[in-house]
Amino acid sequence: MWTTIRHLRKLRSDRRGVSNVIVMVLSLVILVIIASNVILWSYHMNQLDWEKTQESMTIINLVNVNTTYSRWSTVKAEYQVNLGSHVSGSFINTQTIDGNWETFQEENNPLTYRLDFNGTFILDLTAYPLSLINTVEVQMRYRASDTLEKRYLKAYNWTSNAYSDGSFNNTFGHAPSGGWDYYAVNFTDKWQSYVRDDGIVVIKLHDEKNDAVRTTIEVDFLGVRIVTSGVAFTFKNNGSLTAHVVSLWIINSIIHNHYDVNVFINSGENETYLLSGVQLPSKPYFVKAITERGNIAVYSPN
Amino acid sequence: MRGVLSDKRGVTPVLSNVLLTVVAVAAMSLAASATYVITENMRQIMGERVIAEDVWFTSDGISIYIRNVGKVAIEVSSVYINFTSQFFTPLTLEVGGHERLNVTLSWDADSLYHINVVTSRGTKIVDYYKAPS
Repeated sequence: MWTTIRHLRKLRSDRRGVSNVIVMVLSLVILVIIASNVILWSYHMNQLDWEKTQESMTIINLVNVNTTYSRWSTVKAEYQVNLGSHVSGSFINTQTIDGNWETFQEENNPLTYRLDFNGTFILDLTAYPLSLINTVEVQMRYRASDTLEKRYLKAYNWTSNAYSDGSFNNTFGHAPSGGWDYYAVNFTDKWQSYVRDDGIVVIKLHDEKNDAVRTTIEVDFLGVRIVTSGVAFTFKNNGSLTAHVVSLWIINSIIHNHYDVNVFINSGENETYLLSGVQLPSKPYFVKAITERGNIAVYSPN
Repeated sequence: MRGVLSDKRGVTPVLSNVLLTVVAVAAMSLAASATYVITENMRQIMGERVIAEDVWFTSDGISIYIRNVGKVAIEVSSVYINFTSQFFTPLTLEVGGHERLNVTLSWDADSLYHINVVTSRGTKIVDYYKAPS
């Protein structure tokens, strides 16, 4: 007992070596920080590698889809009437083919009865990026009271800053029958002139010429859609983790085409993805799908 | 108050303690910075993951499509084909980045090529690729 007390008193009075102890403790703290930092990061990367090994995604089918269409884009605000007048209905009546229509009438100016109105449409570029568009199609279902005068659809040309139909597949207009008619045009491969970078398309409908009949036009539907073709990939995720496909390849002896994609496949599920604007080359060819974790699935239909 | 101001006993221990605290804080800051620097390099080396999505034998040489699937940006520092260093277009890829790495090389049809792409931190993509007929 006395010996222990004596040793404690000696330790209390003798402070030599305290700095060494402090230095050791601080060094230990630093070492622990370094080690924990490295070990935690190592754990993180090991988890990444483990997830990569657990991922099991395959391509189970590949189909050439000849032509696909986006959903119809319709106006989201009232048409601007430049010549003539709005009679009844609203732009909402022109969004679907349902027997409800919006009515316009040529201006009340004898011998110069004219009609001209336009609407703004926004294409769905999130689902169909500009790079994948083949062409853009415009379709109208309408009824005109005068069958002797043609109707013309035109689009605003963002290059020439004027309405035109110069690059349309049909520049001859449409002769109404007196009943409900469909009038459809597309922009051919010159669609870039008519589609702004943000997907805006402005469509105009106007009559043919001055005449002595004041025509009434009833529009049941007016819409714009993207036309594209593509390749349908069907993926199967056999792994226990969600797979995220970020890259697709179509490869044969003369092409190695790469496409950035963003496809998520839940564990155990199949997912079909349409790669728009693309056609499969002649055989032999094969395709690859790359996941975000770095796995590669290969499919060869040969 | 005058008593407190005139009595200067104990000032030295207070000053010495303050100084010791400042020195200790500075030392720990230095140590923490050094720790960060030391571990950051190790973390970057451990965080590198790179894959070759595609290898294309073109008329100009060999085109290797590389994707960074790791957690740090990478820089390709060397390309060896059949164990010989090759000239290539410099390439840096951010996390998730992907790009072609073009190597100018005259290749022979149906021949086997050992391609080794090395990053600045030492990560490698190594494999054999057979040239088309």
